[in-house]
This record gives sequence, C-alpha cells and structure tokens, in this order.
Amino acid sequence: MTAQTVTTFQAFKATLKRDLLIAYKRKNDMVNPFMFFLIVASLFPIGISPDPDRLAEIASGVLWISALLASLLAMDNLFRSDYEDGSLEQLLLSPHPLYFLVLAKNISHWLVSGLPVALVSPLVAYMLNLPGESYFTLFITLLIGTPVLSLLGSIGVALTVGLGSRGLILAVITLPMSVPVLIAGTLTVQQTLNGASLAGYLAILAAMLFAAVSFAPLASAAALRISVK
Amino acid sequence: MVEVETDLEASMLCVDSLFCERDDRILFEDLNFELKEGQVLQIKGSNGSGKTTLLRNICGLNVGYEGAISWYGDPIKECHEEFYSSLVYIGHRVGVNKVLTPLENLRWSSSLQQVITDDELLDALEKVGLRGYEGSQCFTLSAGQQQRVSLSKLLLSKAKLWVLDEPFTTLDAAGVKQLETLLKTHAGNGGAVMVTTHHTLSVPNLQVLELG
Amino acid sequence: MWLWFSKLGSPKWFYELSGKWLPWLAAGMSLLLIVGIIWALLFVPPDYQQGDTIRIMYVHVPFASISLAFFPLMAVAGTITLVWRMKLADMVAKTAAPLGAWFTALALASGSIWGSDIWGTWWIWDGRLTSMLLQFFLLVGVISLRSALEDADAAAKACALLSIVGCINVFVIKYSVDWWNTLHQPSGSFSLSDEAPNPPEVWVPLVIMIVAVYLFFVVSLILSTRNEILERERRSQWVQELIGAN
Repeated sequence: MTAQTVTTFQAFKATLKRDLLIAYKRKNDMVNPFMFFLIVASLFPIGISPDPDRLAEIASGVLWISALLASLLAMDNLFRSDYEDGSLEQLLLSPHPLYFLVLAKNISHWLVSGLPVALVSPLVAYMLNLPGESYFTLFITLLIGTPVLSLLGSIGVALTVGLGSRGLILAVITLPMSVPVLIAGTLTVQQTLNGASLAGYLAILAAMLFAAVSFAPLASAAALRISVK
Repeated sequence: MVEVETDLEASMLCVDSLFCERDDRILFEDLNFELKEGQVLQIKGSNGSGKTTLLRNICGLNVGYEGAISWYGDPIKECHEEFYSSLVYIGHRVGVNKVLTPLENLRWSSSLQQVITDDELLDALEKVGLRGYEGSQCFTLSAGQQQRVSLSKLLLSKAKLWVLDEPFTTLDAAGVKQLETLLKTHAGNGGAVMVTTHHTLSVPNLQVLELG
Repeated sequence: MWLWFSKLGSPKWFYELSGKWLPWLAAGMSLLLIVGIIWALLFVPPDYQQGDTIRIMYVHVPFASISLAFFPLMAVAGTITLVWRMKLADMVAKTAAPLGAWFTALALASGSIWGSDIWGTWWIWDGRLTSMLLQFFLLVGVISLRSALEDADAAAKACALLSIVGCINVFVIKYSVDWWNTLHQPSGSFSLSDEAPNPPEVWVPLVIMIVAVYLFFVVSLILSTRNEILERERRSQWVQELIGAN
C-alpha cells in the first residue's frame, strides 16, 4: 500500500475541523441553545420575583439549571445529522479508535454550545444580581462543568440516535445523571459567597471533568456501535 | 483451509457458516463464501433477503451474527486496524453531509484513511463530473450527484475491499458506466468488490451470490 | 465451569429449575411475611418517641434497602449481556427495571407517610429521599429507553450500557447528594433517631420483614422472568410442548 496512512491525531483534527465547519454553516444550531440559555434565565425573575435580594439568593442555581437545559437542548444535534446521512457509519468504520473521534465531536460540540454559555454567564449573573465577587467562580465552574454535561449527554444521545422522536427520553435519561455536576457547580459558587476556600470544590469539579473525559467517550462509542446497525 | 503458495489470487475475505436472524426470522444460515483478490462479488436476492444485513455483518456495523468472518486468514475482530484501513463501505445513506460542499465532504471522509491533497480531491470530483459543484452545499445537489460524491471516494481510496450497497440506484446511464469501469479497474489492480444490485454487471471475474 | 455457565444461561434450564424452587420460595415468603407483619403490627412495643408510627419502619426499611440492590443487579446483568451475550441475563434485567421502579416508589411512599408523622411533612429534601428520587428517575429512564427501542437486540444492549452507566451514577449521586445535604441542612433537625441500641423485640421482626421482602423480590423477579422467557421463546419447541401439555 503506497498511500500515506493517517495518524489518529490527524483523523481527530479532521473530525474536529469538519464539525466546527458544519456548526459554522448551521448558525441556527449554534445560536439557539445560547438564546435558550438567556431566555430560561430571564424567566426566573419573572416567575419568582424581581426582588434583588431573592434573586441574589437563587442566581447561581438559576444560571446552572439554565446552562443544564441549554446543554440538553443542544445535545440533540450532536449525532443526528450524521446518523441520518450515513456519516456516522463512516466514523464507525474508520481504522482509528472511536474514542478519539467521539471526543473530537464532543469537543467541537462543546465549543459551539457550552463555551458561549459560560462566556455570557457573568452578564446574566449581573442581571440576576449575583454578588459581584462570585462572577469569576461562576464562570470557572461553568467552564469546567459544561463539558461534563456535554460528555454525559453524549452518552444519552448516542443511545437514542436511532429513535424517531427522542427529545423527552433524552431528557429523562440525561438530566438525573447531571445532578452531581449541578450540585458541585452551585455549591462552589455558594462557597465563594460564604467567603470560604474554593480549592477543594474546584478539585471535585475538575475530577468530574477528568473522569468524564476518560470514560464518557468510551460509553458513547459503545452506545453508537449499539445504535448503528 | 489449504492455500497453495503459487496461487496468485490470494483469498482476501472468507465467510464461514454465517448465520443471521432478525425478529425471529432467519435471514441466512450456513452461508459460506470466499472473496479473492481481483474478484467482484454480486449479491442478489429479493427485498428483505438480507443483502444489506450481510454487507453490514461483513463491515462489522452489525455484529448480530454467528459464524466467522476472516480477513487474510485472521478473524476481523483481531485485525481491526488492518481491516478498516483496507475497507471502503458505501451504504444506502451515502455519508454526505448536506450543509458541507462535495469538496469538504470528500476531504473529511478520505482523511480518515489517508493523507490527501486538495488537488487530488478536486481531480477526483472532476472525474465523477462534479467539477463546478465543489463549492455548492450538498443539499443543492440531486440524489445522483450526492451518490457521485461518495463514489469519488472510491477513486481516491487505496483500500483493497469495496463494499457497496445498491450504488447504482440513483446514477444515470453515464454514471453506471463509469462505476462499472471503476469496478473493473479496481479488480484488475488486485482489489475486491462486494456489491448488491439488481443491475446486470458486465465485469470480468464476476461471482454471484444468491440470497433467500 | 463454562458448561455450568452456559447451562445457567439457557432459559429452558432456568424455567425448569425456577419452577421447582418457586413453591418453596413462595411458601417461605408467605410464612415470613405473615409472621413479620403480625409481629410488627401487634406485638412490637410502641416507640417511646414515635409511638405506633414506628410500625411503618417494618415496611419502609425493607423496601428501601432492597431498592438499592436494583442498579447493581441490572449492571451485573448488563455486563453479562454485553460480554457473553447471554439471553437470560437480559431477560432478568428487563424485568428488574420495572420491579425496581415499583420498589423504589414504594420505599418513597412509605417513607413519606412515615415522615408525615415524625417530621410533620410529607416531603423534605433529605439526602436519602433525594437520592432515592433520582434513582427512581434513572430507573424510569431505563424503562422508557427499553420501550422506545424496537429492535430487541439493540434494546438489550442499550439498556445494558445505560444500566452500567446508571449504576456508577447512582453511587456518584448518592455521595454528591449527601454532600449537598450536609451543607444545606441544619444538622440533626430532621435526622432519623439513631439513639440507644434497640432491644431484640424491635429488631428481630425487622430482620424477618427484610428477609420476607427480599424473598418477595426474588419471587416476583422469577415470576416475571419466567413470563418473559415464555414470551421470547414462544416459537421454540419446548415452550410449544409446555403449552400443549397444559
């Protein structure tokens, strides 16, 4: 065979690039979760109370739950179009470990859905009257936490990719699994408000990210092999 | 199995007593065949006879079968990387993303197997008659043109085994002819092809497997 | 060993063996259940703090403790399904999920009735209650995934994978909810009374009830698995003969 073979890293890069390109061409998919995050977060003051003190109390939870829901909404198009047009089969039939290709898709997906949410969170935090000193903590927890949500959600998406209507079942599978991240995220923010040290809390979040990066793509890959047949 | 050393046509793929059922219905059982270098194997059979399933069994997409599939004597599970480096599969769903252009699609799908330059990609697209379309998004293309995008991959690929599921359905007469030529050339270079179609193939060294 | 293992995986063998065990298990279960319930309701002395409400414990604790066994059970069955493709393991996993949801719901309901008296509220976001509720949600997820996937083989594998992931998750949830709870709850105000070692007349009926409910679980699991076996093997010769004989 004369063709120069591709290293797994090159295949990883090519997949990452392709997915970012698709996201760029389908701007709706990129903007919608982001807008959803803003809208959900602004429903809480309307639904609960515009009172600044009460808002300050619930702000971190509101932001985290909005981020969780936005991530869930964005998850659906992670593998769907690839499943429908057959690209997923090509992915499964590549000679490279599926772990890395799935990870590439997860990373690209997070870059266009999770990262914007984390970036805009301080602005929404201001609108919800979250005390100023915890903006940075909130941003950091979302920065570490949203990829965990994406990675976990990816397992659920991979399991349900063959189903016609999967919006609700995906939520039923994914949301309970996301609870530990939600707890770690909101507790860390509250910890800042109490003026306590954050190191331990951030370490727990980081540990979750590490565990999710190591194992979730394996589970997603296994789930894809089950769903595509 | 004794393979004579002087035999030029080495056995590439060997299927031994394959059994597959779906929803309690047996699709095929005790299926045995061998695919040698330079052969084109046409799989025929009525609708629902398991042609697609057989191809997906071979590729490892569907592992719900019993029996052994081996690649140059090794079970495919044990030579995973080697097997998938030597395989091109084009299914019903051709693997062409609708928002990307033909060039971008081809670039990604080829880059999973080999390093390739844009000139080579453009050249391949020209050969399948898509010159001038390389920059349009694929949803503007017809089904036949999308099929051609996936077939252009065959031009570039150095893979030895092509597994094609109904590749002729959406092609026009010229496309059919071109694909037949492609199959001939591939077989002539020592490659092998498994193809499902009802179309009468005019290629030398054709084997036919009837299912159902 | 392997022979034994593959024999164990044969639905027919399981059906015959479980048919022999079932009367004994059912008899033992009934006996223990009757003894346990009568003892707990009539003869256990009322708690010095909770009065007669303590009797709910004899239903709640067995159900709550067995609810914790479902995800590990389904994860083990799932691993066997994925690795050895044993059909029986999937049949057990399939029937365990709805049973688990029922047991968890009963544990929640009985706990809530108990709580309504000793805590003065039907629901609090206590660590135990919260993680039990989340486990219930996860079980519902497994059940709905099973019913959504049409292809039986894909459903088996997908649920197996989800059970394994879910099992790990149940533990993570348990720890994180405890952690969350200790930071949120003013300590002690709502905790169950764990004071002085209980006298034997309190814990012996509890042990009897726990064993009885475990047997109840085993009997239900066997019954529903047998049902599932007949359903899936309905075309096989031995099931046809069995139906013909009856």
